[in-house]
Amino acid sequence: MPNGLRIILLLTPGLGLVMTLMIWVLYRAFAQSFGLYNFNGDDLLTLSHWQGMFQNRRYWNALEWSGYIAVVSATLAVAVAYPLVIWLRRPFKGSFLLSALIKAPYFVPGLVAAFLLINVISYHGFVNEFLIWIGVWDQPVRMQNDKNGYAIIGLQVWKQLPLAFLLLSGAVAAIPDNVLHAAQDLGAGTWDRFRKVVLPMTVTAMQASLILIFIGAAGDFTFQAVAGPTRENSLATLMVTYQGASYSDWNGAAVIGVTLMVLSLLGSIVFAALVQIVAKLMERV
Amino acid sequence: MMSLPRLNTILATCLITTLVLWIVIPFAMALMWSMVDPGTSWSYPDILPPALSFERWRIMWETSSLKTAMFNSYSLAPVAGMIAIILGAPTAYAFGRLTFPGKGIAQILMLTPIVLPGFVTAVFFASILVSLGFHSRYFAILLGHVVLFMPYAVRILSVSFSQVNNEVVNAARDLGASPFGVFRAAYWPAIKPGLFAAYLIVFILSIEEFALAFVIGSPTFTTVPTILYSYLGYDFIRPNAAVVAIVLVVPNVLLLIVLERLMQSANPANVSGKG
Amino acid sequence: MPDLDIRNVEMRFGGFCALSDVSLSVSSGKFITLLGPSGCGKTTLLNIIAGFLHPTQGSVLINGKGVTSLRPENRDTAMCFQSYALFPHLNVHDNVAFGPRQKRVARAETQSRVSTLLSQMGLDLHSTKLPNALSGGQQQRVALARALAVEPGLVLFDEPLSNLDAKLRDQVRSEIRSLQRELGFTAVYVTHDQAEALAMSDEVFLLNGGRIVQSGKPRDIYFKPKTRFVADFIGAANLHSGPINSGAMTTPFGPLSVDSPNLSMSTVCWRPESAALGGPLSGVVSSAAFQGSYLDVFLTKDGETIRLQISGDQHLEVGQTVSFGVPRDRVVIIEDTDTGQANA
Ligand SMILES: Nc1ncnc2c1ncn2[C@@H]1O[C@H](COP(=O)(O)OP(=O)(O)O)[C@@H](O)[C@H]1O
Ligand SMILES: [Mg+2]
Repeated sequence: MPNGLRIILLLTPGLGLVMTLMIWVLYRAFAQSFGLYNFNGDDLLTLSHWQGMFQNRRYWNALEWSGYIAVVSATLAVAVAYPLVIWLRRPFKGSFLLSALIKAPYFVPGLVAAFLLINVISYHGFVNEFLIWIGVWDQPVRMQNDKNGYAIIGLQVWKQLPLAFLLLSGAVAAIPDNVLHAAQDLGAGTWDRFRKVVLPMTVTAMQASLILIFIGAAGDFTFQAVAGPTRENSLATLMVTYQGASYSDWNGAAVIGVTLMVLSLLGSIVFAALVQIVAKLMERV
Repeated sequence: MMSLPRLNTILATCLITTLVLWIVIPFAMALMWSMVDPGTSWSYPDILPPALSFERWRIMWETSSLKTAMFNSYSLAPVAGMIAIILGAPTAYAFGRLTFPGKGIAQILMLTPIVLPGFVTAVFFASILVSLGFHSRYFAILLGHVVLFMPYAVRILSVSFSQVNNEVVNAARDLGASPFGVFRAAYWPAIKPGLFAAYLIVFILSIEEFALAFVIGSPTFTTVPTILYSYLGYDFIRPNAAVVAIVLVVPNVLLLIVLERLMQSANPANVSGKG
Repeated sequence: MPDLDIRNVEMRFGGFCALSDVSLSVSSGKFITLLGPSGCGKTTLLNIIAGFLHPTQGSVLINGKGVTSLRPENRDTAMCFQSYALFPHLNVHDNVAFGPRQKRVARAETQSRVSTLLSQMGLDLHSTKLPNALSGGQQQRVALARALAVEPGLVLFDEPLSNLDAKLRDQVRSEIRSLQRELGFTAVYVTHDQAEALAMSDEVFLLNGGRIVQSGKPRDIYFKPKTRFVADFIGAANLHSGPINSGAMTTPFGPLSVDSPNLSMSTVCWRPESAALGGPLSGVVSSAAFQGSYLDVFLTKDGETIRLQISGDQHLEVGQTVSFGVPRDRVVIIEDTDTGQANA
């Protein structure tokens, strides 16, 4: 059997199936956003669904909200993970337990995490009772569904920190001690070793963590629906609302879905470029 | 300089304590909520529930759709794991043992289901199903889970395949082993832990999966996550949600511990396969 | 250029003692070698000199000043790592320029140092390549250039030739030595290859099990080993034990004359190439291998074997009985104890 044919046959059931379905799904989203496969009327290639959305405040609010949550969550998660990773680079007493605890939230499904958080921060939840008991607050404070989305951001960081931690610690562990020694030997102090060796050698992992967390947080439905402010929608919750039984506006949902994918793509590009630029600047100063 | 180790120990102790509280307190509260006796109520300003019982668990088991949801979840996951491995193994073999032009791109393309937003995939997969007039929710979700989680299985398996020792393969051939003999001697020992790990990861992810199950399944086909969501949504019934949350999380955590062990034997360099 | 003084250094890793009571001094501009089997503590000692490790006891002095509290980045040392330790994200040029830039050397000066070193190392054509695009030998030379670019007073070489093939090894070896003479830096050179140590150094320090077992000029180390370990580790050695009476020791091969008063029990050692055909000793040839410039002969008698290296134009047959002699001044008395190998 010729080699090319053999490889195609090997890839077909796995990669072939995955790509067929994913391309089909993508095509369907794009097509429906431009009026094709209209379940409520005639198929018609049109921009009207986009135009309709562009005049809809809820659409812009959701876009802004998802962007905000995603940027803040990704930045925070990496900003917290990075120092932890550097700190835990050399094992010491307790460091193993510590990294296991940091990774633990990865094992908790998102819905359960949201439920646990709500229990803790609800009106008569642990945090309120505790802070009243030690006298910080006079009366309970409403934290659930807060309007700045701190609960969602907290959940995102909690849930995504392990991912950033794993990716970054892999990259940091791959820096041999001797390379750091060499830099030190040639006159680089702690800060110089960080910006000239550690940072450039972990840029890729940092980009990967930021991008994955950004995409995850931008597409969030669960945390928004359970712990988000009731007045706001994320793109995903808005999309499901449009597609759901009360609207059945699949084409509108498609516009939102495509927007979410564009946001994910743009966010990834911007984050990747920013990290690259910052790393280059840090190397120069 | 000399006090650095001590500083480390102090910092680590503080952080470990915080994290343990951060994990223990929420789970302890969930457990207590699930055991609040339905006859009484746990409300402000009681620190602990007035009476604990398993009554809530019994009611949930006998009257709610939790049983059906568990049946659905646990009949989807093992099948999804099986199919994902059978369909993914040839791709993993190609990724792990062969070189061909475009391999790098193929490996990146394999990650598409991971980077596409889950709800976008779910909604437009549903749209396709509507057009096709495909009505079995079980098979639709099954197909969805196979496709969504195959990348994880392929990644683990391709590492396993790449660790098959070429010299053992050649030696087995040299000694006149049949293809099956070569497989048993050279491939099976190297890929066995990877196979189990790949199966487990698909299983776990399938149990946890919410977007597809929610968009395609609701309202008639429930899984454990969708039923949990229903208790967290408009009619928020905290003790019920607590029961379901525990039902969802405990088996998965146990399986994940097994998985972590397997991953270490499948590939010592790999920290974790999830994600 | 600085001199180096190491006083009673001890290094423990937990319960394991990697170095014990190591003292040595190197005067300015000298080239010394730390020689010893793998695992004897050579790299550990270099790491202590460079400042990556703190000795559990003892002190390191550079130019007479204690440097124990001085961080590696502030010491006038440069290390050439056994594993190269090149910066994988920087190209060859930037790797070499890293040190000068770090030390705020003027731009033009940096540039000229880098290009001089790169051409000396034959790396001009590779200056824009990343390290992993280079062969092992090229990487090794980049590591060398990078260490020398800071024009350090003290250069620490950790087995810098171990990954080169034999021909390149000879070439880089003489390059290192001539650069050292030209730039005048003090050098501490680590190797486990005795030929390299003998060929390059002003002075050799032989380590075993974390201790210095003998030090001296290459010639003295070679011809006057003090212990069985030194004799065996450096080159081939013939050893005999027994009493010495009226300036001779009785061996299975005959009387071996030794420059010594009477001793009831002692061990003596001589090198294979010290022997010459014809003399009071004799043995039966058990093998004779022609090596070009010399003939490698093994003689046996009464179950003991010795080795002779004689001129290559001789012919000897296996089974033939040969008589030979060893000049009295080439036979040395050694301590036949294992103290050198004991690990405290
Ligand atoms: N950081 C360390 N922790 C524990 N033992 C070490 C450490 N570094 C070196 N050793 C041990 O010290 C001994 C000497 O090592 P090294 O100096 O690297 O030897 P070499 O002479 O081959 O360079 C070895 O037995 C090694 O295992
Ligand atoms: Mg060494």
